[in-house]
Amino acid sequence: MADQQAVLEVKNLKKYFPVKEGILKRTKNHVKAVNDISFEVQEQETFALVGESGCGKSTTGRSILRIIEPSEGEVFFKGVNLLDYSKREFRKMRKDLQLIFQDPYSSLNPRMTVKKLLLEPLLTHGTTNKKEAEQKVVEIAERVGLSKEQINRHPHEFSGGQRQRISIARALILNPQLVILDEAVSALDVSIQAQILNLLIELQKDLKLTYIFISHDLNVVKHISDRVGVMYLGQMMELSNTEDLYSNPLHPYTQSLLSAIPSHDPSVKKERIILKGDVPDPANPPSGCPFHLRCPKAYEKCAMEKPAFIEKEQNHWVACHLYE
Amino acid sequence: MSPLLEIKDLSIDLYADSEKFNVINNINLTIEKKQKYGIVGESGSGKSLTSLSIMNLLPDALAISGGEILFNGDTDLTNLSKKEFLKIRGNEISMIFQEPMTALDPLYPIEHQIMEVLKFHGSYSKKQMRQLAVEMLEKVGIPRPQQLIKEYPHQLSGGMRQRIMIAIALICNPRLLIADEPTTALDVTIQAQILDLMNELTDNYDTSILMITHDLGVIAETCERVAVMYSGEVVEEAAVTTLFKNPTHPYTVGLLESVKSLGDKSNKLYSIPGNVPTPKQLTGGCRFASRCPHAMEICRSQAPPLFSIDADHKSKCWLYGEEEVVNG
Repeated sequence: MADQQAVLEVKNLKKYFPVKEGILKRTKNHVKAVNDISFEVQEQETFALVGESGCGKSTTGRSILRIIEPSEGEVFFKGVNLLDYSKREFRKMRKDLQLIFQDPYSSLNPRMTVKKLLLEPLLTHGTTNKKEAEQKVVEIAERVGLSKEQINRHPHEFSGGQRQRISIARALILNPQLVILDEAVSALDVSIQAQILNLLIELQKDLKLTYIFISHDLNVVKHISDRVGVMYLGQMMELSNTEDLYSNPLHPYTQSLLSAIPSHDPSVKKERIILKGDVPDPANPPSGCPFHLRCPKAYEKCAMEKPAFIEKEQNHWVACHLYE
Repeated sequence: MSPLLEIKDLSIDLYADSEKFNVINNINLTIEKKQKYGIVGESGSGKSLTSLSIMNLLPDALAISGGEILFNGDTDLTNLSKKEFLKIRGNEISMIFQEPMTALDPLYPIEHQIMEVLKFHGSYSKKQMRQLAVEMLEKVGIPRPQQLIKEYPHQLSGGMRQRIMIAIALICNPRLLIADEPTTALDVTIQAQILDLMNELTDNYDTSILMITHDLGVIAETCERVAVMYSGEVVEEAAVTTLFKNPTHPYTVGLLESVKSLGDKSNKLYSIPGNVPTPKQLTGGCRFASRCPHAMEICRSQAPPLFSIDADHKSKCWLYGEEEVVNG
């Protein structure tokens, strides 16, 4: 992976959650939620992490921001390792790194007005000039499509789409450089989702933002991202730029994911790869390749040996024995 | 031959703050035998309320204020007593819901929950019931049904639970299966499995499906006919292939456009401006007028009737005012 202008560099990130049993709460086992993930995010690009529920994509996002402390690994943000800081020192860094959540109903305090919600991050990060802060609130609210009058209302007076606009404003008011969007449009209706996606793309251009876009929706990811990493059971299965991944998916898992998207043309019947079974229990992952139990192309080697993550084509990485 | 289910001029009102708000306005739907029928709409469009009204499961604050729901040509479901309805619900009409975790009882093993339906609607011995339950689980693709039937819901994954729900819904061989967002809570690969299963089962079972979803892709994959709902009204109704090829109502056009332009990075994503009006905000005119790019004078003052575009394609929009009116 070239490292010309990587804003964020994640190296061998691991997050193991202990499974405790018995009266003495001894650690019996670990859930390997994120198991040795590495990737880079370039300046002003949108890097997407996709996968099914339980694949570790959200844990990865949260580990980068240390909302969940990672077990091992390094996260370089503009050359410095975020994990080297003490918690208190890291808090200052959080200004540049923001997170937007899926559910705009539970992520906004219902007792605060929009104005208070937007002022809070400014005050936390040491703004003392109240007039200036209020001016900033009005500016950012207008930027995301909320009117001056609306900022005195409470979150329950807004629809889901407008609430997500408030969350976006709240994340952007500190001029961050990197924004992690964790299923940020998944809870919204199609017509509203389109409005918010347009807003995000516009804001990225104007404010020179870098996005990590975490989503299970492959159609949305195709639209918004420049590069995509596909995760399965805590591991990266394939990583490539968006165009290559959608036109030429290498990993059998990516192929079946893409074929499972319902088509929007009833006259075209797609050739579907229907996977057998469910995602295995991450506390008890299969040996070898994590996908081999469901893989239509699996052979003996897959159960024995974990495939290496190799650069099969230029900038197109894959972890599969078929390509070794 | 009469259709399996006929909803005629159904209206539902919401009673809140000693005021009355209309949430479902005069909808008409006809589901034929063995048909797969879809209702698509965004949150708040009234698609779930329509299905709950068929099952006589409307919450207390809501009441049917007009119209009838004819089942099998002669039974008006809105007129049945609670006791009479018990014979129909789960037996002739059954329903599966979005969230398979909350729909199953966490305190009882799977076995108990499947056999409960048989106990209620049939007269079998315990042995027969267990036999039927195991067979049904096999049909919905559950591995090791003999052992699994003894397990509890929390021991199963989301996809498995939804399969159990389908098994419970189909075990009495219903005439109509209502599926309210059956795959929304599931991952894409599991969604593909479940949709496949539903298609396969209804082909073998003589069951009609009413599929309720917000996902046009799910409609395209499974249904034959579709009704598009917006703000408590059916705004367009057609065969699925017709609707996708030749959408007429500006709302349907907008919805399809915003889905289809996804992935095309060179252009801005098409979006319908504004938000769905709340019941309090409704005026006399067309309910979509405030967001419609083609809104005219008449749209704001007068609600359009359902116009017939051709034999089986209807659209509730003044743009088609020259066409023949189907019903008021």
